[in-house]
Amino acid sequence: MKLDLHNHSIKSDDGRAKVDNYCKWIAKRGLDLDGFVLSEHRQWDGESDYRALEDEYGLLILKASEVETEYGHVLVFGVNDDLVNAFDFADVRIPLRTVLAEAKRCGAFAVPCHPSRAIVGMFSHFDEFGPAEGVEVVETLNGGGRGTENDDAVHLAAQYGYRGVGGSDAHIVSHIGRCVTEFDDDIASIEQLVTALQGDRYRALSVDLD
Amino acid sequence: MSEEARRFEDVDFGDEIPESFADVRLATVHVFTEASGMTFSRFNDHQAARKQGMPGAVVPGIMSQGIFAAKIHEWAPGCEVEKLDTVFRAPLIADTEVRVRGVVTDMDDGARTVEMDLTMLNEAGETPVIGTALVRLA
Repeated sequence: MKLDLHNHSIKSDDGRAKVDNYCKWIAKRGLDLDGFVLSEHRQWDGESDYRALEDEYGLLILKASEVETEYGHVLVFGVNDDLVNAFDFADVRIPLRTVLAEAKRCGAFAVPCHPSRAIVGMFSHFDEFGPAEGVEVVETLNGGGRGTENDDAVHLAAQYGYRGVGGSDAHIVSHIGRCVTEFDDDIASIEQLVTALQGDRYRALSVDLD
Repeated sequence: MSEEARRFEDVDFGDEIPESFADVRLATVHVFTEASGMTFSRFNDHQAARKQGMPGAVVPGIMSQGIFAAKIHEWAPGCEVEKLDTVFRAPLIADTEVRVRGVVTDMDDGARTVEMDLTMLNEAGETPVIGTALVRLA
């Protein structure tokens, strides 16, 4: 199944898309997508309940977070109460080692995103801080990737032995579905997504929507 | 106004503004910056902009907003652009080929308004400028 692992709604300060409009768009355009993940910036959205939209559109809608570390931005899947209390999601300089360790302790999974982008990407900090310990997966395909960012991410992920996922990083409705992750196994919950990410039966895909 | 107004009833979710090119020739940017008093070298001189670390002369952000607004009005004569919100992800460079797209992504029957996604694509197919607009139709 295909999931878009990185999107933002109006819950994020720079997000302009309502979640129901993402669903309408996917249906209207007939996108080859089984679901998507909302990864709001610097917060955990514990309130929003998208089950009605899931039922109406036949999509899996999961929630995650995009937090900020000294190595750049990191997607965290499987956020729970334990993890919310482990560090301040609003902090823009959370140590990456803390995010990785606490995610692991709490049964979540952390994935540095747009890793080849300057400043907000993990690889851009390797010269200063050295390779990050404990990273297993990075977002090799990001829908907002410019220039050689995605190619560089694919190359560097291979070099460091990281697995890769894809996400659109959509902030507006029409940008969803540009990069996705194809999983070999069915996923029906955030727990199953975390389990899948811990394995290796998936791959990042870029989708030409033009 | 000679053109017929685009009515709310004639628009559907997913409707697109036909893709078109934006006039971002340096000469056009110069006209804009002269009129707006933004006579900074980074907008008007490729060489000076490069010395400031830019890939070339940069199209001013408010000019990009103006281009978006103009494209909306071309598509929907008689409309009111109530809100225009832009995000500048990378510099838009003068004298390059820039395509403009718009698409309806939300509709409010009561208010007779539509929300639109707006994008500018550069020659590499990237989107250095994105935005949304709230547009009231006739």
